[in-house]
Amino acid sequence: MSAALRIFLTGVGGQGSLTATALLARTVMDQGLEVVSGEIHGMAQRGGVVESTVLLGGFRSPAIGRGEADVLLGFEALESLRALPYLAPGAFVLSSSEFIPPPGVSMGRDKAPELEDIKKGLGAVAAKVWFLPINALGRKAGAVQSANSVLLGALCATGVLPFGPEALRASVKKYLPAKSVEANLRALELGEEAIRAAAEKSAERPPKTH
Amino acid sequence: MNNPLLDPDGARRLLLGNEAVVRGALEAGVNFVSCYPGTPSSEIPDNFRMLAPSLRYVFEYSANEKVAMECAAGAALSGALSLVIMKHVGLNVAADPLLTMTYTGLPGGLLIVSADDPGCHSSQNEQDNRNYARFAGLPCFEPASAQECKDMGKAALLLARESQQPTLLRTTTRIAHLRGPVLFGPLPETPAPIVPFARNPGRFVPVPAVARARHRALAANLESLRATAETSPFNRARGAGEKGVIASGVSRAYLHDALMSLGGEDGLRIFELGMSWPLPEKSLADFMRGLKILLVLEEGEPLLEQALNALAHKLSLPVEIRGKVPPLEIFGEYSTGAVRQALLDLRGEKTQTASPLAASAPAHPALPGRPPNLCAGCAHRSAFYAAREIFGDGVCYASDIGCYTLGLLPPLKTADFLFCMGSSISAGSGFARFGGPVVAFIGDSTFFHSGMTGLANAIFNRHNILIVILDNGTTAMTGHQPNPGMDQETLGGGCTRLDIESVVKGCGVKRVARVRGYNQKALLERFSEMKEESGVRVLIVEEPCVLYARRFLKKSRDSRARVARQDASAAACLETLACPAFFRNEDEMGVNPDLCTGCMVCLQVSPSFAAWKGGAI
Repeated sequence: MSAALRIFLTGVGGQGSLTATALLARTVMDQGLEVVSGEIHGMAQRGGVVESTVLLGGFRSPAIGRGEADVLLGFEALESLRALPYLAPGAFVLSSSEFIPPPGVSMGRDKAPELEDIKKGLGAVAAKVWFLPINALGRKAGAVQSANSVLLGALCATGVLPFGPEALRASVKKYLPAKSVEANLRALELGEEAIRAAAEKSAERPPKTH
Repeated sequence: MNNPLLDPDGARRLLLGNEAVVRGALEAGVNFVSCYPGTPSSEIPDNFRMLAPSLRYVFEYSANEKVAMECAAGAALSGALSLVIMKHVGLNVAADPLLTMTYTGLPGGLLIVSADDPGCHSSQNEQDNRNYARFAGLPCFEPASAQECKDMGKAALLLARESQQPTLLRTTTRIAHLRGPVLFGPLPETPAPIVPFARNPGRFVPVPAVARARHRALAANLESLRATAETSPFNRARGAGEKGVIASGVSRAYLHDALMSLGGEDGLRIFELGMSWPLPEKSLADFMRGLKILLVLEEGEPLLEQALNALAHKLSLPVEIRGKVPPLEIFGEYSTGAVRQALLDLRGEKTQTASPLAASAPAHPALPGRPPNLCAGCAHRSAFYAAREIFGDGVCYASDIGCYTLGLLPPLKTADFLFCMGSSISAGSGFARFGGPVVAFIGDSTFFHSGMTGLANAIFNRHNILIVILDNGTTAMTGHQPNPGMDQETLGGGCTRLDIESVVKGCGVKRVARVRGYNQKALLERFSEMKEESGVRVLIVEEPCVLYARRFLKKSRDSRARVARQDASAAACLETLACPAFFRNEDEMGVNPDLCTGCMVCLQVSPSFAAWKGGAI
């Protein structure tokens, strides 16, 4: 049995975070590892929060409870902070630094926290926190829809998964529609590069692979 | 056809629980499939629809669950191995035929899939449909993994044919929407053979004399099915000790993970109940003998707990049975953390750390919420806006099941009450007898589901109600499944479109009007006229669901709206129409061009908005 790892993914309806979740789960299975994955999307298509999970290492329940997530993948900055109670102490956080303002914020009634506050809030619990402009990098890769692959590429580069970026590259080619493969491969690379650059900047080697 | 669900024997695929049910049915050789879509069951029929060209079975979306159940039962009576799929509340709609077809039995075999929703992720209640297994007399299977969704789906179909008794596969949201590896078995060369129908009114026409005899036949059949449960591979006991756990459904997954976190199951006896009705009483009694204390893990009602208490009492077994003990309760979902806590209590151990349910950090205070909302460009918003302009708080708004229930949100506030599918018209009719004028909103699919009978009743009993049929041409909420009102081109050759206006007129409604959903002027005029009238009035608001139009009809508009004047009129439109594409910050009001769909309703509401085509704003 491989090491237990519980990944909590959160985003906003329409971002495609469930496609990314399925891609990640299939990659884990193709590596011959035990995996279960889950998604809750009752009314998500109407702009609500979408939460999903990928659990490695022999779990049977697809749910992740409060204080149980080893990794948080946040596809939107505000939702990353909302997922804070799910983090286990010492968790890894990889999040978009970009916002999709909820209706109250768009209309000037509510105020979204500043990115710095989000970093601080998550950093108080997590061992390591990375923020990437995934939509900007997705556009750079050729399609904003590939933003999710930026986050997945970054996840691989951190070394918290028991496999490297090659496995994800193989999945993109195997499971995504032919017309979007190129942009998603490029997006994976941009995600990896961003993590490497961040690691060098903080003069720190990425954590070792399991 | 190239679909992973048709892959050969021995393939291992990562499947949704719902997809795995489809594979199981294919392996059993299912002949006929009917359904009414409803979260969390919808992916089952969605996949059957996609696979329909494989010609292995006949598939249909039914007008409602009762019809789906009756069509499937009729097919099973005529000898087809049949499957009917619905969400938990759908089984209430289908309960009438269900409670008699278990008397007659069905020679071809019928499996009912009920997807329950503990926690109300997308439902109006969290009823526990294991009650129907007991109520109607249905052998019940409760999978806890994707693999079991496949294996139990197949086994339950084959048992339905062998026993001629309808069977129940009861899933819950977590199981329907989990993804796990599934090892495929063989697909049969041909679907199951059709069992020739043998006329037998003494069995299949339940006049009282027949029904009384068939009730006894059902009881006898359930006793022989109890023997099946005693030897079912889905019911397994293991371990040794004086403390035991019996778990069913998704709780088995939580039990496994909780035990994993506690370092194993030494000193515990464990009974996993996968085929959960009829209860294998002999196996359960054997399991309880020698136990001092027993923990029962079941989400929802304490059905198993009560049955085990009765069994232990009958056999004078000195076992203390615990079920709904904190943090385990009848409300919502169980979790690994809650089960872990119950196991620690069972072992008599103090919780080592703080409660395992406690988060490492509290929720961040006062984050702006992100509630589900009607989409930018949704024509329902336009209709609700116009209704509120004309009626304000001077009427009560009867809502129904669909995206348009979201009309309850401010500032539209066009939902005052709701029970179930179709209730807007009939509950609205009754309300208006004593509660003043009512405007009822109902979608096209919901109208065909069970609005038509309420409409017939409203005419028959001369009710006083304005009914607004929000016809967006699809079943939007559950993912754009077909319904009888969909345009013929989309329906294709297998279905015939029904015209809503003709149905309404056919029910005897004299006052009917049709408007386009984006046409504010027409909406306001019709509402104003109908406000002054009495009796049954029907306004049909037609406009394709904006998501459906874009994704499936490939229709989009090249124009967008913008705020041309930063004035009070624009501000009022932002406040009262509240399209999600609107934004407002310290400097300006505007329309987000990435979200705007070009419906141009805002231009009709306020002269301070304007259209633009491409380029800079």
